[in-house]
Amino acid sequence: MTQPSIILILGYIFGFYMAWNIGANDVANSMASSVGAKAITIRQAIFLAGILNIVGAVFIGSHVTNTIRKGIVSTEIMADPHVALIGALSALLAAALWVSFATWKSLPVSTTHSIVGAMIGFGIMAGGFGVINWGKLLAVVLSWIISPFFSIVIAFIIFKIIVRLILSKKDNFIQALKLSPFFIGMTLFVVVLSFLFKTPFGKRMDLGPLAAVIIAVLLSVLLGFMATALIKRYVKDRALGAEAVFKRIQIGTACYVALAQGANDVANAIGPLAVIYFLVKTGGVGGKVPVPVFLLFFGGIGIACGIAMAGHRVMETMGEKITTLSNTRGFSVEFATATTVLVASKMGLPVSTTHAAVGGVLGVGLARGMEAVNFGIVFKIMVYWVLTVPTAALTSMIIFKILQFIF
Amino acid sequence: MRIPFFSMFMTSPFEGLQEHAEKVKECGWAFQQAIECHLANKCKTFEEFRQEVIHLETEADVIKRRIRGHLPKGTLMPVYNFLLFRYLREQDQVIDAVEDALDWISFRNEPGIPPELEKEFLILADVVIDPIEELSKMVAEARKYFRNYSEDQRVIIKNIIRTLRRQEHEADKAEDMVKQKVLNMNIDAVTVFHMVRLAEIIGSIADHAENAGDMMRAMVAR
Repeated sequence: MTQPSIILILGYIFGFYMAWNIGANDVANSMASSVGAKAITIRQAIFLAGILNIVGAVFIGSHVTNTIRKGIVSTEIMADPHVALIGALSALLAAALWVSFATWKSLPVSTTHSIVGAMIGFGIMAGGFGVINWGKLLAVVLSWIISPFFSIVIAFIIFKIIVRLILSKKDNFIQALKLSPFFIGMTLFVVVLSFLFKTPFGKRMDLGPLAAVIIAVLLSVLLGFMATALIKRYVKDRALGAEAVFKRIQIGTACYVALAQGANDVANAIGPLAVIYFLVKTGGVGGKVPVPVFLLFFGGIGIACGIAMAGHRVMETMGEKITTLSNTRGFSVEFATATTVLVASKMGLPVSTTHAAVGGVLGVGLARGMEAVNFGIVFKIMVYWVLTVPTAALTSMIIFKILQFIF
Repeated sequence: MRIPFFSMFMTSPFEGLQEHAEKVKECGWAFQQAIECHLANKCKTFEEFRQEVIHLETEADVIKRRIRGHLPKGTLMPVYNFLLFRYLREQDQVIDAVEDALDWISFRNEPGIPPELEKEFLILADVVIDPIEELSKMVAEARKYFRNYSEDQRVIIKNIIRTLRRQEHEADKAEDMVKQKVLNMNIDAVTVFHMVRLAEIIGSIADHAENAGDMMRAMVAR
């Protein structure tokens, strides 16, 4: 077996492992609110998350993959295929190791940050500090601060709107039904828009921004009213009020988050793998590396496997821990999370779903929506954000040296 | 900690508050029975009821400490944490006052409450029971309010607070009646002191319940 094919096989293994980790660890973030608020069961959550992560990964996922690979580390170092090959593998291995370590030690790290750190480490080893695009890196680091903040703001506003327009009203069941086309439509609007802008299908249609927005608005209005009609038919229990309506809407937002997560996080696992694959198949890296759909699918499957194997245990804990989350709160959290992730993903920024979800909960907490949320935890989490990048970078550097020695 | 999303969710202090209020309510029942028993002739179970109250007070104390100890800095709640603590303190003082009253009686079990004062003390004990029972209702309604922030719900709570205030006023009147009667009776000074002090302690039960209501008013302020 030739050296590159060994590296490719290793790449597949570590890439899959990374994807598995994303599924096992991060599924909690996407499904926690829905399971916690009892909108869906654990079994349904696992099924939905698995399928939609694959869909999100395959159809919306390609854009971010490019950015992680090319944006932060200059393409100069990719000139030498051998270095690039080893580098991509060491980045993948380093990130996977760091994530495993974090899982073992119960540290709240982000898979996104691990892979970014690992890529930086490899870049420094291969070409010195000069190859790091610091401006781009700064933008990425800023996005880690901006994305939770963005999520906080969205969740805060959405929850305040729900309180003002629905919950505080006398018959909040009727009020919720009346306004549900708006909330469903809003969710669908972002999903449709990201489909139009990012999927191969959407690109083939080649719509201008204005046309895309018009189509998204029309579709979301139409589907919003259809969904409301369905809710009207199936939700009969008025005693629970608005929560009963949002319980149904939350099934939709849970899907929304899973979709966004697949789209966003698949890159963490298969970004470096795509580089390896391309190098092995073509012998060099051009200006732009397309990410084959089957690799996205491979990543999606990896995430789904992680969800299927470890998701149950994680979600059981969740069901016990999150008891105070009602459906309106869950909806606000999920809407904020997914919107943040999809928008960031559209802008090509590697944000963490975890951070967006944390932001969403805090937003609702700040809107006085939760009986108790620990804000202090954010500072602890931040320490690990800061630590993850250099640690992954360092690990990646060491592995790079070792691999260079071997191959 | 691995999944930061989980670590953010904490046990709600309102759950503890509710639990605490239930203990206060149980204490109220035991208190009522203890007083009635004490006033009845040949009562043998007063001490049992007193011990029950002491036991409930200890349990309530554990709940109180649990609430206080599990609210780290930076906890986001629908209310400011100092208001929550102040409320909890008042609610806890209700139970303390109940215990104090029974203790005070037990310090001088014989001759106990003079027969001429029995009626007044029964009235006093009765009027302070109502506000005790009102507390747990108030906490439950407040939790509902923090779920939907509806004006109707707020009105329900405000009405409970108003009731508490009125009941405190009733308790004051009953307390004054006892004191007035005691001070004009031809009995020994020790009994006078014992009875006046007892009336004050029982009266303070309603005072603390009213204070708790005031704290609740601040908590549901918009």
